[in-house]
Amino acid sequence: MLIVVSQDVVKVLFVFSADESIQSTLSSDSYEYYQTEIFDLLPSVQASRPEQDRHGALDANEVYGGAPGSAEDSGHGVGTRDKTSLQPLRNLALCMQGKRGARRKMQISNIGFWESWRRSQANNRRRVWVQMGEVATGLLPWRHTLHKIQGKFGVGVKAYFIFLRYLIYLNLLHCLLIGGFIIGPTLYYSNRTENDSVLDTLLGSGFLDRSPVFFGFYEPGSLNLPCLNTPLLYRAGILTIFFLSLIMVVRRTIVGYKHTWLLGKRYSMNVSFKIFCGWDFNIQDPSAAALKHSFIRNDLKLFLEEQSFSLRKAQRTLGQKVLLYLLRFILNIIVISLLGGAFCLIYLSSKYLETTDGHGWLAKLVLQYLPPITITFVNLVLPHIFRKISSFEDYSLTVQVNTTLVRSIFLKLASLGIFLVFVFKSNTNVSKSNCRENQFGREMYKLCIFNFLATFTALNKKITSEKYPTSLLARLSGKQRFLIPFNVLDLVYIQTVSWVGVYYCPLLPLIGIITLVFTFYIKKFSVLRCCVAEQRMFRASSSSVLFYFMLLLSLFMAAAIYSSVPFCRTFCGPFLNEKTVFNVTEDCVSSLPSSVQNTLRYLASEAFALPLILAEIIILTSYVSRGRANQKAIERLKDINSDKRFLVKEHATLLRSRKNVTRSPSEGRPVSVDRLQL
Amino acid sequence: MGSTSSQLDKDALSEYQELTFLTKQEIILAHERFSAMLPQEYKGATNIRLPMEKILEMPELKSNPFNKRICHVFSTSQPNDGSLTFEDFLDLLSAFSEAATMEIKSHYAFRIFDSDNDGTLGREDLEKMVTLLTGDSKDTSLNGEEMGQLINNILEESDIDKDGTVNLSEFQHVISRSPDFVSSFKIVL
Repeated sequence: MLIVVSQDVVKVLFVFSADESIQSTLSSDSYEYYQTEIFDLLPSVQASRPEQDRHGALDANEVYGGAPGSAEDSGHGVGTRDKTSLQPLRNLALCMQGKRGARRKMQISNIGFWESWRRSQANNRRRVWVQMGEVATGLLPWRHTLHKIQGKFGVGVKAYFIFLRYLIYLNLLHCLLIGGFIIGPTLYYSNRTENDSVLDTLLGSGFLDRSPVFFGFYEPGSLNLPCLNTPLLYRAGILTIFFLSLIMVVRRTIVGYKHTWLLGKRYSMNVSFKIFCGWDFNIQDPSAAALKHSFIRNDLKLFLEEQSFSLRKAQRTLGQKVLLYLLRFILNIIVISLLGGAFCLIYLSSKYLETTDGHGWLAKLVLQYLPPITITFVNLVLPHIFRKISSFEDYSLTVQVNTTLVRSIFLKLASLGIFLVFVFKSNTNVSKSNCRENQFGREMYKLCIFNFLATFTALNKKITSEKYPTSLLARLSGKQRFLIPFNVLDLVYIQTVSWVGVYYCPLLPLIGIITLVFTFYIKKFSVLRCCVAEQRMFRASSSSVLFYFMLLLSLFMAAAIYSSVPFCRTFCGPFLNEKTVFNVTEDCVSSLPSSVQNTLRYLASEAFALPLILAEIIILTSYVSRGRANQKAIERLKDINSDKRFLVKEHATLLRSRKNVTRSPSEGRPVSVDRLQL
Repeated sequence: MGSTSSQLDKDALSEYQELTFLTKQEIILAHERFSAMLPQEYKGATNIRLPMEKILEMPELKSNPFNKRICHVFSTSQPNDGSLTFEDFLDLLSAFSEAATMEIKSHYAFRIFDSDNDGTLGREDLEKMVTLLTGDSKDTSLNGEEMGQLINNILEESDIDKDGTVNLSEFQHVISRSPDFVSSFKIVL
């Protein structure tokens, strides 16, 4: 932060001195680089001077050695450094002939061989760095696709795809951990063989029940050292997954948050940036240029829309406000009742799960899939209703998207949670042969599979509307739009299921990866082929923070569910034979040498907790106070900055009035300081 | 590296190196590219003007919306028809090179954006710029009201002395805060 602001100071100085150079371009042969005394005298400028000197003069000094500063010593005030003598000729904004003329005045010889070699080396080094950076980013998959999507649909849709890619990485990491901690050792130290029917693949019963997919498989095998056994590894694997996910997601959220905060309203240069720095002059490909055009256009339109909305909002009368709040209240009640209804539906469907005996295989399949179907159906329909509702509430577009997101995420997580609670309750009286954890894992597995199947619906819609353009369905769905919130929700939901289920079904992350990769291609297809670009765009930065925040929420939910796990007795899986998670660690600790044992016991005791808490408090306090101090410093720097703007303005008006009064012959000359200070 | 006729003599090369931000290799490459565009009978001549239409055919400039302005800014012809000599061409590449300073880049950017050459960016200049940036397809371009709103926003942010136009210093003030101007204002052969 400090660095940014101090650079600003340099820039202001720089701007100021450039004020004159606009005149110098108009006159023919003046290429002076002026500085004005006021800014030189400002303490903040003097503080930042060394940096500038280094930049500006390093090259020049070496080239010109002790070049005479006498080339032109015009009306500069006393003590003003003669910038011109330090400038290499290349830095002059003149055509080649002009520079030659300038050099003739300065009588400087050509640069030597050594200097030229040095300079080209520096250039080459820079180029190599740039190229290395490009190669590194080239390693990321789907970059080209993302670029294409961004050009066509804007940053928001791209943020969705980046989020998707991030989830794939996350799941890949999970898979590696599970492979290392759980599957590898278990497979290595045990061997069994069995086989069953195809229907079991969908239901997750039969051979799958005994396969590495589920909890029950991981029975303690021959690997049975006190501190290196299957239960312990299993537990360590799952815990590592959770901690790593937590760290990664929190980091991502905070980075995003910081970014949004920095780009917030306090820096009001946004539109000018978009216009003045909008075009990327590197673009050569005509199609890339077309993409860039549409990207800029979308961005500008979004900005204008948000601005006109806030204008409208400011003009609301009191009566309108009251009416609006009443409307919002009623709509919120509707939302809550809808949520309640959805939860009832899920409860009823999970009731049916218990009555699966005595039916044909098809009925069995349908009944088994009833809860996932209900959940998916509810999750498919209600968010759209929420979206309609939020459009009545007259929020700005971004807020609209965010409220819909929050409501829908609540629906998704809560419905999943309720379903899990029912499954837990209904399974308490299962016999010993029917592993309860497997049952639970199976539900998660079914949810995952059904989600995967549901991603194909978008594809189906496209195909129907292309083959039968007059059919009812095609006319109903019309031209699809890519609704970012709902697609993000689907992703978060998949990830939540994967997190919740990973304990009971360790291969769920692998299934998750497959699902996500397929989702990527399906979504890419449906975005590029089936969807029209939104007329209204929404901002990516704030929304992507929300994406990660939702992910964090779902992680917390999974953690909450797991917190009940260690207290349940199990009859299968790694914690067989009356072992709970606690006695496994206990066994390990008691096998260690006594000194280590004592240390560990001390670390786990209350006696250690107190100093730990104290230390944490101290560290936190110091961070908080440092944060406050920084905040204050930022405020002060902002004041300085606005002072500077004011001075620039004053000076500009002064200059202008002077120019109007005396149109002196020395048009291109700087106003000397003593005159200015009058 | 090319035929003997297209080679630059040593003095000229080191002079160009001194006067531009380009390296030796870049100057040689630029010379090759430039002489490749010359008609057959003038091969090797250094002080030939290449008409703007020829320059615009280069892939580096072809899809750039500001390509005509760029030619006009860097052309030294009298009257200005956008045609470039080899030295003008080098000036162009120097301003757009990686090594060029922020000051040079923003100076030329300002002149490129100043389509009426009056030394300030007035409303018309800004409007023209926005139109070039957003592309000229009829259905999607901004309507008059939106354009007015946008221009007002730009002026409100950048026009510090409130004279209704953005002058060079104000322009550079804005540009200097943008982190990616230097990397995007770049044309490399």
